[in-house]
Amino acid sequence: MIARKDWKVFWRYPLNAVSNIFQPIIWITPIYFMGKAFSTNGQAIGFAQYSGTGDYMSFILLGTVLSNFILTVFWGMGFALKEDMDAGVLESNWLTPVSRLLILVGRTLTSLLTTTITSLFMLAIAGVLFGFRPTGNTLAAFLTAIPMLLGLYGFGFAFAGIVLLMREANTLVDVSSFLVQGLSGANFPVKSLPYWLIPISLMLPLTYGFDAVRGWLLKTNTLLPLQTEVALLIVFMFVMLWFGAWVFYRVERKVRTLGTLGQH
Amino acid sequence: METSLPSRSLGQPGFLSDLRAFGAILKREWRIFMRYPSWMIALFIWPLIFPMMYILTGRALSGPDGSGLKVFTQTTGATDFIGYIVIGTTVWMWQNIVLWDVGFSLRNEQMRGTLESNWLSPTWRFSYLLGHTGPQIISMLMFIGITALEFGFLFGVKLNGSVWMILLVMLAAVPSIYGLGFAFASLVITVKEANAFVFLIRGLVMIFCGITFPISLLPGWMQSFAMWLPPTYLIHGMRAAAFSNAGVTELLPDLTPLVLFGVVWLVIGYFTFLLMERRARQTGAIGQY
Repeated sequence: MIARKDWKVFWRYPLNAVSNIFQPIIWITPIYFMGKAFSTNGQAIGFAQYSGTGDYMSFILLGTVLSNFILTVFWGMGFALKEDMDAGVLESNWLTPVSRLLILVGRTLTSLLTTTITSLFMLAIAGVLFGFRPTGNTLAAFLTAIPMLLGLYGFGFAFAGIVLLMREANTLVDVSSFLVQGLSGANFPVKSLPYWLIPISLMLPLTYGFDAVRGWLLKTNTLLPLQTEVALLIVFMFVMLWFGAWVFYRVERKVRTLGTLGQH
Repeated sequence: METSLPSRSLGQPGFLSDLRAFGAILKREWRIFMRYPSWMIALFIWPLIFPMMYILTGRALSGPDGSGLKVFTQTTGATDFIGYIVIGTTVWMWQNIVLWDVGFSLRNEQMRGTLESNWLSPTWRFSYLLGHTGPQIISMLMFIGITALEFGFLFGVKLNGSVWMILLVMLAAVPSIYGLGFAFASLVITVKEANAFVFLIRGLVMIFCGITFPISLLPGWMQSFAMWLPPTYLIHGMRAAAFSNAGVTELLPDLTPLVLFGVVWLVIGYFTFLLMERRARQTGAIGQY
């Protein structure tokens, strides 16, 4: 029901879909031309020393697609709660005998589908404009992305809890979104980060997700052997789901005790 | 008993009354601006975070032995790629913030429900837009100053030119940047939800104006298009002033089009305002939201 409602709302504003396709392309265009300024005969030699591929655009495009999904899962639930708060329907939704986590997951199902559709279009257009050349195992890359996305639901639950508590969390979302994506290597290999940032990057599960998916699909150099990274992602998935749900329920109980659920 | 009436009706505005109205709007906007101090956090964080995505990608493209950086230096003539990128991204942020702040100023007033009542007062209506611009320019100057300080101290970006020349280029760009903001603000009174327009303009600046690369790398048709966008000259001029020690003579090819575009955009901005304001009054759109 929730997913169907969101699906209807999304397609009622078709410009949103167009925007979702073209916004990422606009953001990475400066990187495409900047990469040219660093390249000789179309090959980014410096970049290849870090990543194992001189095809920096395929590297970045794949990162952009994964980032779209991360944004959907990670922030989608928090934003959905904020929308319900502003619309004044959160409290009444909370009174229904449905698991709170299920309500949160329901809000992301449509987004996952629409993100898949718009990301495929984005990839097709960007592939024509900049070139996208996956040479590796697509199925393995897809299977690797699944535990990463499920683990992100854990992050999403915890973040939704923070939104319940803080109510106005836009700056927090924007800043942490930029930081998490930057430090986990959405646009570049994390080995190129300043040495003092690398430990932080290695502590983020997303780093291994980006790295492993690229390793499978683009045959880039990975931080750890691919099987180890996949195993780490599976462990992170269980830990994050448990931790996220725990944080969410604690915060939710506190908010109910304070009586601030209906405020915005 | 006779009451002496002022020789001039209060309903007929003159230059001084317009000036007082402008001052009052300026004061009100400054008060609102200072009442929400959370912008201070954004003022320190965004100048660092936004360019960081491009800087870290540039670092990766440089390679561990700096081989990519050598190619970049040969292509752009810039020895400091961080400074090169920061100037481009700062100009982008300037245009972006003006579109959101100035561009949506009348719309925000409309949303608060105060636009229609203000419109009834006998003041020069354009002063509402000008009044919003004052605090915006001050906060933008702070934003650019903080950007310079943060990258100077944290990343060792050093100027190899005159601060006055940089300020001169920025001053030449003010009319075009804010003229576009005025035109946009006027359109928004009628169009109302115009986020897509902001995305379009800032997208054009991002793609065509060379925020992270020299526009000589663009295909010919894109270079020709870039010549019609004032931020192209602003970015080029600021980089020349900051890192190549360019003087007024060397900067003239950037300053002249900036001033010309400025005149054109101010005129467009003013007349769009008059047109849209009349249209909104006729259709009754001033009070709608």
